[in-house]
Amino acid sequence: MGLFDSILGRTKLKQPARDRLFAMSTAYITLETGMGLKHRNAAGIVFQSLPTTDFESIVKETDELLRSAAADTGTKVETSKDAYEYQWVILRDSDFEDLVVALNVVSSNLETAGYGDRILCAVFAFEDGGKPIYFIYNFKRGAYYPFVPTGAKDQDVEHALRLKAQLGGELPMEEDLARWFPLWEIPL
Amino acid sequence: MARQRDKFGRDPGLQARMLLTMFLLGALYVVFIAVLLAAGAGIGIMVIAIGGLSLAQLFLSDKLAMRAMGAKIVTPEQAPGLHAMIERLCIQADLPKPKIAVADNPMPNAFAMGRSQKNAVVCATTGIMNILEPHELEGVMAHELTHVKNRDVLVMTMASFFASVAAMITQFGFFFGGGFGGNDDNDGPGFAVVLLVSFAVYVISFFLMLALSRYREFGADRGSAIITGRPSALSSALMKLSGAMQRVPDQDLRQVSGMNAFFIIPTSVKKSAATLFATHPPMEARIARLQEYERQLQGGAIAA
Repeated sequence: MGLFDSILGRTKLKQPARDRLFAMSTAYITLETGMGLKHRNAAGIVFQSLPTTDFESIVKETDELLRSAAADTGTKVETSKDAYEYQWVILRDSDFEDLVVALNVVSSNLETAGYGDRILCAVFAFEDGGKPIYFIYNFKRGAYYPFVPTGAKDQDVEHALRLKAQLGGELPMEEDLARWFPLWEIPL
Repeated sequence: MARQRDKFGRDPGLQARMLLTMFLLGALYVVFIAVLLAAGAGIGIMVIAIGGLSLAQLFLSDKLAMRAMGAKIVTPEQAPGLHAMIERLCIQADLPKPKIAVADNPMPNAFAMGRSQKNAVVCATTGIMNILEPHELEGVMAHELTHVKNRDVLVMTMASFFASVAAMITQFGFFFGGGFGGNDDNDGPGFAVVLLVSFAVYVISFFLMLALSRYREFGADRGSAIITGRPSALSSALMKLSGAMQRVPDQDLRQVSGMNAFFIIPTSVKKSAATLFATHPPMEARIARLQEYERQLQGGAIAA
């Protein structure tokens, strides 16, 4: 959305930048071998759920597509709505590559149907000695940022900043710290 | 389906009216500048002074508004739900996170302030948080975030720059008579002409700015519908709020009436007030637009 759009009061939503999601399929190796994190065999994608029958049928169709693909890959698929009525698709698979591919299935399916602008984030779940560490991919920005929750509404920003420094070149990182939005109660 | 979705939230008529209003304001100011230049000395200093005031307004308006409302910045610990709601809307709208404030005030209202997207404050009263359901509050917050995204404080401050100049000249004229400037014997038009033109500029720009403010409100409603994908949630919030506003006693309302332009619902909702004088469009018109967006949104399903 350019300056001209904002002067005219013309709101436009950004379409998702799906390409850089795949950066995680190589970066996770550095995370695991270089930094001692363990992936939790789980990833998720969160999007706004529009109250229209068309949108609901697209979500259902995507779910069926995922489940039929899961017959081959062994990926487990769950869907849920969180406290803010956003829709989550949770994927569980010990093969990390399969998780990235399945996330891409969801986002590309929504985008093809014209609902790409409703996708917020993809989340990859890791842990460091039992402490949960999430890498959040903001689809609007095409960038990752780490999120280290320590309680219901607390987070370890220092740890997150350290992770950013350690990962630097491996992942496209969100440089604007004002956009490191926490996601509380991540269902994975 | 994608074709259907493209139509959602498109409103070329609104943009055309906004553009026309801005054009008329601009044209008015060009004429005004020409007259000021023709009138000669003394004016430059005044323009610089008003420029300073406008800048001060731009940089201080958020703090003044917060103080007037008794609003305080809240941390995520103090208002976790509000923070989480706005964070998600910010991701969706691709905005940096604004400061979030809460005013302990039973009057249900919300406003957004700040000169830029990075220096924005979004404020809600405890009244609005109590009255509205989460989805309705989300619609209102998305409306306020759209004001931030559209840089409405900046747009309105710039639009009011020359109106302020004109207002000041008019006031000076009334206080000091024709003695101001003291250059009656030069080639340019006399001070009486400047005074007259200033008065006319002030009156016309006043109405044009009100019109612009109303279009910005429509723009923010539209932005809210697009960001949340739930136009009807904002409609429902507006209906609830207009009902609640009429029940709130007058005295409370007058305390805050100076900030009307930045509120989601103006505090004086007297039906008799001419639409021309309103900073906000009438409730019925706002809801009619929102219903149109809802129809466009649902249209995808009907066509499919």
